[in-house]
Amino acid sequence: MKQLRYDHVQETLYYEQLDNGLELYVLPKPGFSKTYATFTTHYGSIDNHFQIEGEEPVQVPDGIAHFLEHKMFEEPDGDVFEKFSAKGASANAFTSFDRTTYLFSATDHIEDNLTTLLNFVQHPHFTEASVDKEKGIIGQEINMYQDNPDWRLYYGLLDALFQRHPVRIDIAGTIESISRITPETLYKCHEAFYHPSNMMVFVVGGVDPQRISELVKANQDAKVYNRQGEIRRFYEQEPEPVTEQRKVTKLPVALPKCLIGFKEIDGTPPGAAALHKEAASRIMLDILFSPSSESYQSLYDEGLITDNFGLEYNLYPDIAYSAIGGDTKDPDLLVERLKSFIARYVEHGVSEEAFQRSKRKKIGGLLRMMNSPETIGNEYTKFKFRGMDWFELLPAYESLTLDDVNRRIREHFDMKRMSVSIVTSS
Amino acid sequence: MPGRVIEWKLMEEMTMPTFSTAEWNGMRLHVLPTRQFKTFSIAMYIGIPLKEETVTRAALIPHVLRRGNERYPETKQFRERLDDLYGAGFGFDIVKRGNYQIIILRMDVVNDAFVSGESESLLDAALQFLSDTVTRPVLEQGAFRASYVTSEKETLRKRIEAIVNNKIQYAAERCIAEMCRDEPYRLLALGRVDDVEDIDPAGLYAVYEDMLQCASIDLYIVGDTTPEAVQALLDGKFGLSGRASAVPYVPVREERRNVEEREVVERMDVKQGKLNLGLRANVTYADDDYPAALIYNGILGGFPHSKLFIHVRERASLAYYASSRFDGHKGLLMIQTGIEIANKEKAESIIRKQLEDIRNGVVSDDELSKTKAMIINSLRENDDSAFDQIGYHFNSVLSGKERSKQELIEAIQATGLGSVVDIARNVELDTVYFLRDKGGAS
Repeated sequence: MKQLRYDHVQETLYYEQLDNGLELYVLPKPGFSKTYATFTTHYGSIDNHFQIEGEEPVQVPDGIAHFLEHKMFEEPDGDVFEKFSAKGASANAFTSFDRTTYLFSATDHIEDNLTTLLNFVQHPHFTEASVDKEKGIIGQEINMYQDNPDWRLYYGLLDALFQRHPVRIDIAGTIESISRITPETLYKCHEAFYHPSNMMVFVVGGVDPQRISELVKANQDAKVYNRQGEIRRFYEQEPEPVTEQRKVTKLPVALPKCLIGFKEIDGTPPGAAALHKEAASRIMLDILFSPSSESYQSLYDEGLITDNFGLEYNLYPDIAYSAIGGDTKDPDLLVERLKSFIARYVEHGVSEEAFQRSKRKKIGGLLRMMNSPETIGNEYTKFKFRGMDWFELLPAYESLTLDDVNRRIREHFDMKRMSVSIVTSS
Repeated sequence: MPGRVIEWKLMEEMTMPTFSTAEWNGMRLHVLPTRQFKTFSIAMYIGIPLKEETVTRAALIPHVLRRGNERYPETKQFRERLDDLYGAGFGFDIVKRGNYQIIILRMDVVNDAFVSGESESLLDAALQFLSDTVTRPVLEQGAFRASYVTSEKETLRKRIEAIVNNKIQYAAERCIAEMCRDEPYRLLALGRVDDVEDIDPAGLYAVYEDMLQCASIDLYIVGDTTPEAVQALLDGKFGLSGRASAVPYVPVREERRNVEEREVVERMDVKQGKLNLGLRANVTYADDDYPAALIYNGILGGFPHSKLFIHVRERASLAYYASSRFDGHKGLLMIQTGIEIANKEKAESIIRKQLEDIRNGVVSDDELSKTKAMIINSLRENDDSAFDQIGYHFNSVLSGKERSKQELIEAIQATGLGSVVDIARNVELDTVYFLRDKGGAS
């Protein structure tokens, strides 16, 4: 295996690409009892319209990537959770916009558990009856989220910001869209996106990279995969204007909730440029709105925000967006205040002192995240599929300049690309 | 106080990194030297009896403390100091455990070895920061600064009121409140909304001074250090006058009650019904059959192979989540699931059938061995998080029962189905709570 050394964080990552295209990463963590392993496909809720090279384009029902994730746990000889439980492993899976991850953590029988993980994810088994049964379970999952104000707030923002891009679609789909899912559509999606060349394995913990490599190679060599053509994913071109500037959702809440967001529709080439943009954007939001910022303290003193106030930035190859907000007694006043803070920073920029402080904070934050095998595995995979190396984020922070951040502020905050999402009882 | 000789006592087996415990300065000090993490983790547990008279004021105190200390009196300065310490984490929790309300203050800061050119010791700086925050809050005329108290009262009130936003959490809290309506445990750890308005800065500070005198206090430090080095760093910090000794927690034995089953239905504008069942396990952390109770909970609803998950979700397709949780300090077992409102009777009868089945020993060897494997795994995984290790250790401090992870693992391995059935026969269903929509028949 190749070794990628990251001296600044004292970590060594082992990497290789197998003959069938699968990418394998192993990060040994001496002293850790637990091993955390993920098997991830570069396939998420936004991939609902695609074409495999040499085949016809396909449009599939919303929510199918998530539905598939649920159904993968069923095998002809029973439920996969049972196999993991028998070996003391805690297993799970999750679906996001651009990826589906299957995972386990365990302190023993690592090789058995890793074999189970590799095998069940690569072995689809769907029947009419089991697909129908799952519609009841996922229907309850959808209803649970419908009652969750934070979820409704977030999706309200994406819906208000994006007119066409599929990030506006709920990851789980709707009761209606999942009703159209059949075993055939599930097989079709599995065949397209679960090819090893579209997937990666990440193992982190008290493991020997060589042994893991041998196990994964032997497992994959025993399976037959034809070389797969390129997958074309059709994401509709997102226009500059937002869907609506202000979206209100009615739901019983103790205090109204409000998020503002800005979208970016210019693509960012993967690699160093994306990482630089990611780092600059995170520092930008941190300086403007983190708990130690001037705006946070003044909004808090005014009683306009609570501890439940947050911010995030998400960068995808073709789009990006920010989300800023939380609980507030007066959503419209909060929006006015946030806009005037933003206008001031766009005009005057941020100070060198605030910039240096935020940098230190971000670097310390990354180091703290590296205590957690789960965080390492998930962040590395997420960044990788977006064309970035998570371990290079720390040097990316270090190399940023004040000018980079001030330029980022001017690029990102364009009022024409802003929407507001509000959840309120009245 | 400063310079006092500390007698360290080692807990758990010698092969694994272990906590050294000593009494120091009227508190218990626990240090776990380990090179596993890139950070130092610090936690302070301050515990007082859970009581109606003090619960809300005690919950407000950490909110006020996090606004500033004498050295960094303005909140912005206070938070900038944390940012300067490479984004040191500082947070607090207010929890109830058994009959205690416990304030937990936590900090974590990166190990200096990972940041080049750092001149100050980050562990020293973090301990100084926590010490200042606890012992030198911002005062005005002998009371907490009024503006901080006013604004944090508002924050606390909003936090309590916001619990209803998360229906899963709300249903769980309501089920406990109904079930324990005659006990202090009915109280939220955050206190009561109605108490908030009358709190004044002087009265609040008086409660705090009393707390620092009388509370049980434990200070934990985990990271690449030694008890001796910590002792040197603590010199001159955490000056709490008047504390004669570390105050031990008094484990309260739960009297067995006459349980009469009761159903509570609450209506709200919701799409999904939440069905929660509250049961009394009649076993707590300090008991010898605690390991059997953990296994019981695991077989019932702790894992994806458990009876609740298999029967309510996988077989009947009624729910997305269906699980149980065992609160070992209070001896409560709580079941929760989210269902279609019309399916309440069906779900409840499936749940009751599972309780009945375990009572009758309808548990396969497979279910038993999987459950044991999963519990043992989660105990071993606990070693990989500094704060989880602290949490496990604190169980022994709180309950007075020293039981190392290795001992617990061995006890679990040795437990047979008979002991689990004994637990099942002592488990009593107390409250069935159902949160449902506003329409339809009752």
